[in-house]
Amino acid sequence: MLSKFMSKFKENKSCETKEMPLNVRMQVEDLNMWYGDDQALKNIDMDIEENKVTAIIGPSGCGKSSLLRCLNRMNDTIKSSSIEGKVWLEGKNIYDGLADCVDVRRKVGMVFQEPNPFPFSIEDNVFYGCEINGMDFEKDEKVKRCLKDAALWNEVKDRLDENAMSLSGGQQQRLCIARALATEPEVLLMDEPASALDPIATAKIEDLIDELKKDYTVVIVTHNMQQAARISDYTAYMYLGELIEFGETNQIFERPEKELTEKYITGRMG
Amino acid sequence: MNLKTVEPKKIISSCIFLFSAAVAIFGFLSIARRFHMQFWMLAISLIVIAFFYYFLGFYHYLKSENKRAFWTILFGSTLLLLIVLSSFIPELVDLRQWEISARIPNYFFYSFILVIIGLISGYISFRPFYNYTKEGIQVGAYFILHVTMAITVLALFLIVITITMRGIGGITWEFLTKDIISMGEEGGVYPAIIGTLALIALTAVIVLPLGVGTAVYLVEYAKKGPFLRVIRTAVNILQGTPSIVHGLFGYAFFVVILFDGQKSVLAGALTLAVLTLPIVTRSTEEALKSVPDEMRDASLALGATKWQTIKEIVIPSSLPGILTGTVLGLGRAAGETAPIMMTAVYFSGAGTPSGLLSPIQALPYHLLTLYRFFGYRDVESQAWATALLLLIIVLGINISAIIVREKFRRRN
Repeated sequence: MLSKFMSKFKENKSCETKEMPLNVRMQVEDLNMWYGDDQALKNIDMDIEENKVTAIIGPSGCGKSSLLRCLNRMNDTIKSSSIEGKVWLEGKNIYDGLADCVDVRRKVGMVFQEPNPFPFSIEDNVFYGCEINGMDFEKDEKVKRCLKDAALWNEVKDRLDENAMSLSGGQQQRLCIARALATEPEVLLMDEPASALDPIATAKIEDLIDELKKDYTVVIVTHNMQQAARISDYTAYMYLGELIEFGETNQIFERPEKELTEKYITGRMG
Repeated sequence: MNLKTVEPKKIISSCIFLFSAAVAIFGFLSIARRFHMQFWMLAISLIVIAFFYYFLGFYHYLKSENKRAFWTILFGSTLLLLIVLSSFIPELVDLRQWEISARIPNYFFYSFILVIIGLISGYISFRPFYNYTKEGIQVGAYFILHVTMAITVLALFLIVITITMRGIGGITWEFLTKDIISMGEEGGVYPAIIGTLALIALTAVIVLPLGVGTAVYLVEYAKKGPFLRVIRTAVNILQGTPSIVHGLFGYAFFVVILFDGQKSVLAGALTLAVLTLPIVTRSTEEALKSVPDEMRDASLALGATKWQTIKEIVIPSSLPGILTGTVLGLGRAAGETAPIMMTAVYFSGAGTPSGLLSPIQALPYHLLTLYRFFGYRDVESQAWATALLLLIIVLGINISAIIVREKFRRRN
């Protein structure tokens, strides 16, 4: 505790920085992660390209959600977890002792598996992130723009003051996306955003992701391979905490280099 | 409904049910009212039930359902055997031979047997209705559950009815607004009402921040481990401490050390706050735990700090639970006598409180004072009226909690 506190007063007050390649939004460098003594991630290296959709696939328990949660330091909330390695965002290491994890989470938005709106009105839900981060926006305008971006505006424009819990599951999930967009993140992480939804709502979310990549960089975890093939530009295949193969989606699905990847994609494993 | 289409076994089993239910109620009332149950009452009731079962058995036999006939008749015979056995219960069952200092008269046992037999045979009598399927067993089980529920409601109902019937006559405008004169024999209870309300309000002001703060610390910040377990256990033990012990503590600590031996409403409220603290802490903890982690994650992922998450999401979502717990605690505090006896009230002498440090009179303690004068002075109607007032205040607090909770629930 004290050493953490003292590290803020170290002589070298600037964060560790590095020149990042053009078009690369985030870079994962030699990332290892443990829950207690169990290693969940092993030496992950990965570049996440700007304005592209990167999908992470793999069987249950392979660490894909853990990797995603490492990208915005949400794993800090799990007490037993420990991390080694670097994740670069805007040329800064977000795991540097001087990095502010609250600021990282604002810049890297996240959408969860289960829709989890707050139990208050739709507009307050969307504006919550701006409010707590002290962002100075015109509320009505901001709410409208975010809901439009999340393709929800037409369905809720007449009932913005209604409780968000009264929306359907798919609408709730799009509201969560709108809420994440409100803090103007650079990267949007999605943890199986459609797995709790019916096929129609899923299709809407998929269309939305396609729209979103014009303005944002999207990383999506999915256990649905067709979904990954449909919406992503890059695909990462993980197995038992290791990144087996990472490349363009077409290449991964049509000409996988590794045998494990091929087995998984053809449905012989997982 | 055409009677001819109804099977005889259904008629018999509904007779069994009605009679058994009547027997169970009769037995229960005879326990409650100490009405001396005689052996012949027990015997007749059991014989009637047994014969109903013999009828049912005979019917099954005619339909050549031999197995069912056997069990039904066996149950009837068991009842008859029970009559023989219960005739051996002596007039006075002396438990002192097993070193328990009690003597139980036999009519108590007769009542007890009637209740049990009434419930069991009521439970069984549903089965022929459903052709001995498992649905019949389920309906029987529901019957038992309904009975337990009815007994619980009946207890509450009896309390409210008794107090209201006896107390309503004593409540007059004078009673509510006059000072206490000559130990409550004359005048009213105005100072006691004000005193009780002041105590509750002060207790609420003290206990709410303390209890909620503790609970937020325990749920959100404290690391899981031995320290947390020790605190939880301490809170539980505090909850189980007798209120008289709280009173003594309040006297020794608040009155003697803090206020120089002067009893006061503040000392009383502090003592009651200590008493209600565990209740508020526990219920707040439960309310905070019921907020799903997904909600916390959602807030953190938007760049909120932990404190912002607690302040904006966790506490507002659990507010109904927190309020309910607090009000339940206050309801308990309003009715406590022992803690305030030593810390806040004077023997009927105190008037309306003039400040935080003045002693008061409170309804529960006034009731105790009146009870002590039973038989010496004419105070009985005043005592019942005081009890009714106290009941109204406590029930009022609890009902307001329910209303507030429902309002919040609807808004969320």
